[in-house]
Amino acid sequence: MSALWQVFQLIWRDQRTTLLRGAVLGVVVLLAGVALLGLSGWFITAAAAAGMAGVGVSFDVFRPSASVRFLALGRTAARYGERVLTHDATLRAFTALRVRLLQSYTRAPYERLSRLRGPQMLNRLTADIDALDGLPLRLILPLIAGIATQLLTFAVLWALVGIGVAATLALGFICGGAVVLIWAGRVGFAPSRRAELAAQAFRSRFIDLVQARGDLAVYGQLTAQKTAVLAADSRRQTARLAQNRVERRAGLALSCLGTGLATAALALGMALAQRGQLSPALAAMGFFAALALLETVSPLRRAVAELGRMTLAARRVVQGLSAPALQTGQNHRATTLRFEAVSHHRPGAARPSLRPLSFTLHPGETLALAGPSGAGKSTALLLSAGLLQPTSGAIWLGDYKLPDWNEAALRGQLTLIPQRAALMAGSIRQALSLAAPEADDPSQWAALQAVALDQVIRTKGGLDAQLGPRGAGLSGGEARRLSIARALLRRPAILLLDEPTEGLDTATAHAVLLGIRRYLPDAAILTASHRPVELDWADIVLMLP
Amino acid sequence: MTQQDDQSSAKVLAELVAPEKSALRRAAVLAGLAALVWPLQAALVAGALAGLLTDAAPLWTYAAGFALLGVLRAVLNHWAEGIAFTAGLRVSSQCRAAIVAREATRSDGPAAGTIAALAAEKLDALLPYVSRYAPAKARVMVVPALILALAFWQSWAVGVIFLITGPLIPVFMALIGWAAQTASQRQMAEIGSLNDLLVERLQALLDIRLLGAGEAVANSFAEAADRLRAQTMAVLRVAFLSSAVLELFAAIGVAMVAVYVGFSLLGLLGFGSYATPLTPAAGVFLLLLAPEFYQPLRDLSAAWHDRAAALAVASEWDEWQRRADPSLLGQGAAAVRLIGPADIVATGLKVQLGQHVLTLPDFSIAAGETLALLGPSGAGKTTLLGLLAGMLQPEAGHIQVAGQPLNDQTADAWRAGLGWMPQQPHFLNASLRHNLSFGRPGDLAAVLRAVSMQDVVAGLPQGLTTRLGEGGGGLSGGEARRLTLARALHARPDVLLADEPTADLDAVTAETVTAGLLTLAASGCSLIIATHDEALAARMDRVIRLEALV
Repeated sequence: MSALWQVFQLIWRDQRTTLLRGAVLGVVVLLAGVALLGLSGWFITAAAAAGMAGVGVSFDVFRPSASVRFLALGRTAARYGERVLTHDATLRAFTALRVRLLQSYTRAPYERLSRLRGPQMLNRLTADIDALDGLPLRLILPLIAGIATQLLTFAVLWALVGIGVAATLALGFICGGAVVLIWAGRVGFAPSRRAELAAQAFRSRFIDLVQARGDLAVYGQLTAQKTAVLAADSRRQTARLAQNRVERRAGLALSCLGTGLATAALALGMALAQRGQLSPALAAMGFFAALALLETVSPLRRAVAELGRMTLAARRVVQGLSAPALQTGQNHRATTLRFEAVSHHRPGAARPSLRPLSFTLHPGETLALAGPSGAGKSTALLLSAGLLQPTSGAIWLGDYKLPDWNEAALRGQLTLIPQRAALMAGSIRQALSLAAPEADDPSQWAALQAVALDQVIRTKGGLDAQLGPRGAGLSGGEARRLSIARALLRRPAILLLDEPTEGLDTATAHAVLLGIRRYLPDAAILTASHRPVELDWADIVLMLP
Repeated sequence: MTQQDDQSSAKVLAELVAPEKSALRRAAVLAGLAALVWPLQAALVAGALAGLLTDAAPLWTYAAGFALLGVLRAVLNHWAEGIAFTAGLRVSSQCRAAIVAREATRSDGPAAGTIAALAAEKLDALLPYVSRYAPAKARVMVVPALILALAFWQSWAVGVIFLITGPLIPVFMALIGWAAQTASQRQMAEIGSLNDLLVERLQALLDIRLLGAGEAVANSFAEAADRLRAQTMAVLRVAFLSSAVLELFAAIGVAMVAVYVGFSLLGLLGFGSYATPLTPAAGVFLLLLAPEFYQPLRDLSAAWHDRAAALAVASEWDEWQRRADPSLLGQGAAAVRLIGPADIVATGLKVQLGQHVLTLPDFSIAAGETLALLGPSGAGKTTLLGLLAGMLQPEAGHIQVAGQPLNDQTADAWRAGLGWMPQQPHFLNASLRHNLSFGRPGDLAAVLRAVSMQDVVAGLPQGLTTRLGEGGGGLSGGEARRLTLARALHARPDVLLADEPTADLDAVTAETVTAGLLTLAASGCSLIIATHDEALAARMDRVIRLEALV
């Protein structure tokens, strides 16, 4: 519940004015509806009474009938305005929320970032937030409008019809509505939560099936995965049926409540009229108002039946937003990288992931870290890039320690190409622009040439050649070279390379390495390497134990 | 959107809904009956209020009747909604099942994000259409006609008012429906492309951060998300506007009835009814009926909007169904291995690779032989492995495995004896243990030792129960690669197909992997290895060199 409240506060803070206007219009819609029906009932009955009494000519028809027309048109206009305002505000707030969530995922610690699963994240950003649109639109705003309308109607009916009818309707709708809605919220919580969990399981299992089709087929698991996907869907349908049953039962109960209260208003009115304490026209007004007041509780049933789903989504959204802030140090420039007895030990791990390491890397130098798998080559690069924090020792970039740099300045000076750089669907030009939006075609070609990829790209159709999802359409070696070209375009002062020529034959590897140095003659380059061709290329080789 | 597309989408939609016809008919009958209860309730209220005017004894039975009928109406509606909702769920579930079944046998297809959006979200747009449109249509058939008849019975003037204003509603409904459908289609397309964009951005978050592109990516995402918001608002605005217009028509109609009835009751109008003047009971009755005359038409127009969304989904569904992507051979089910030695003979293979047709050399491998496929990047090494695993189908040529042609009937049994090491590992959203063994018995510790991964796995946060990122995130590339070898070893294959098994590995580990492969070969398993690694290739019995494409 507190998560729901937090999400609502985010929405509220983002779109306060529009939502406030929408809420006011929401009250206007409901009030106009009650006034319209109440007034019409009164008008017809009063007109009939006047006609029977033979005083029809002196009866003021114009003010009531003008009011009826005004209320009818006003309600229509207010409803349109209310819907457009609240939906637009909610969608805008959600767009902002999605962007914030994406940004906060980018800031997640490396350990989490590297283990993220795309489909789950997609669920967070789309399904979870979509699940929350009922919170302002179907729960909080209608609840406010409903309560306000009940209270105002109570006051007006008290003045016109009497405390008996007014109190019966207000207490009946508020207490009866609360009982039904709280019941529906409680009973519907579990199935609506289950339905949402199953929907997300369906999605992530299905994406697994599509993305790992080949592996699953070879190991004879494709039909089993298919069964698992369908099982998630059938669980979801069962839960949705249960949720719908709760919602419909709540609807049934509210309909009966509405009928019962309208009947009560009618009976009370009849009794009072018979005793001469109330005119028949005002008795009719109470009954007609009761019919309209059902609108204050009835729309809420859908939202309360969704509470489980909304709470689940809200908790995850709030959790997702709580990523640590990025480094917020100063802007600096630097061209040297210095390790001072830097070591790294993952909590709980049996052995350190990097034993104390010291070196200084100057502009124009290439330093290769060599050593067996697990010696900490990649860890050293991640530490240099500020993705991991050293357990002891310090990393200096120029005259400042790493934590004293702000994120943007750091990324401007230093670029890491991780072992498995990710490519995305889109053109070659888009892939390169991701790193350097301002680079023009000739500079893009120059970067491609540096990694001996220009010929390949030319035969594929040039910079506009389209890559499939995850860079499909390029071989492993070509994808590797494209990711290097992408990083080169940033012209970093310090370039960090993790096994840069894996998957390349020796001749191409040699050409790529020479191309990198030619492209960035003054950069300090740190590589994690084991191939002789890379070790030969480096000026200094540091063996990690 | 052209008229013809519209008709074909409507046909597709009708076919999707067809199996639920009888359930929907039952729902429609119940909904129609529920709507018929209101005129009775109105008559009782009119009688009770008229009774007050004549100072007769209060008609308590009328009030009680009103309450009982109200409960009856609510129960009928409750029942009808339940039947219609269940039918709607079944329609969308069946479509979803069809998508899952087809996607499970493709060898290549639409991007995961697009197809997941269709299956997981968009198909849900069928639900409101199926569950609301049919009952609304039934009410429109019955209720306005009945109320019109009742109105003419009491007052021809009120009947004429209904007769004139009523038909305007369907006309507007149709006009607005077209606009709504175009808007819905744009919105659906936007949802799909936003999902594709996101799924990839999310998988590349680390790179995005390292390239300092976080802001740019967030901005481009904000733009895309804002486009989707605008499209969604366009759909909603049409819906809101249409319901506002219809409400307006209804309000004008009701106001005209009210004015006529009011003036008649006051004795100011002397025409329009048969018994002059209109009785108070008839007046109240007509006024209570007036909104209900328009309500079914308004419900139908709201459902018409659901129909627009459903048509947009149906046309996307149809497009998906027409895709002619190649299928993989067989089902991908667990099967008993083919009998006989796992010999492979490939003759005359040609395969489509992008815009080129690639001709592959003829070759044969006896069971237990080891073979390296050498060649520059893009020469078709990976494609050939896919053909041998029955995951792709050649344009021309034949592959014979264990003495039988590799086809739909034999593929599952053939793959039961295969091991597979892809270039890009993909880990399912399940424990590492499941990813390695797929629930089959065997000694996982032994295969992890065979690829020197026991320490790395022990160092993972939850050991074998850890869930890795789908690309093996949390491990180095070499480690992920070795896990795919462990998975292959665990399957105890007759033939191992490996795509660049030593890429990403340092010399020592590469030697461990090579030794593991050769031990496997020594136990009688054939190896077919696509590689750049001349040293690895030299240790195979034979080498086939594939030519570069250009």
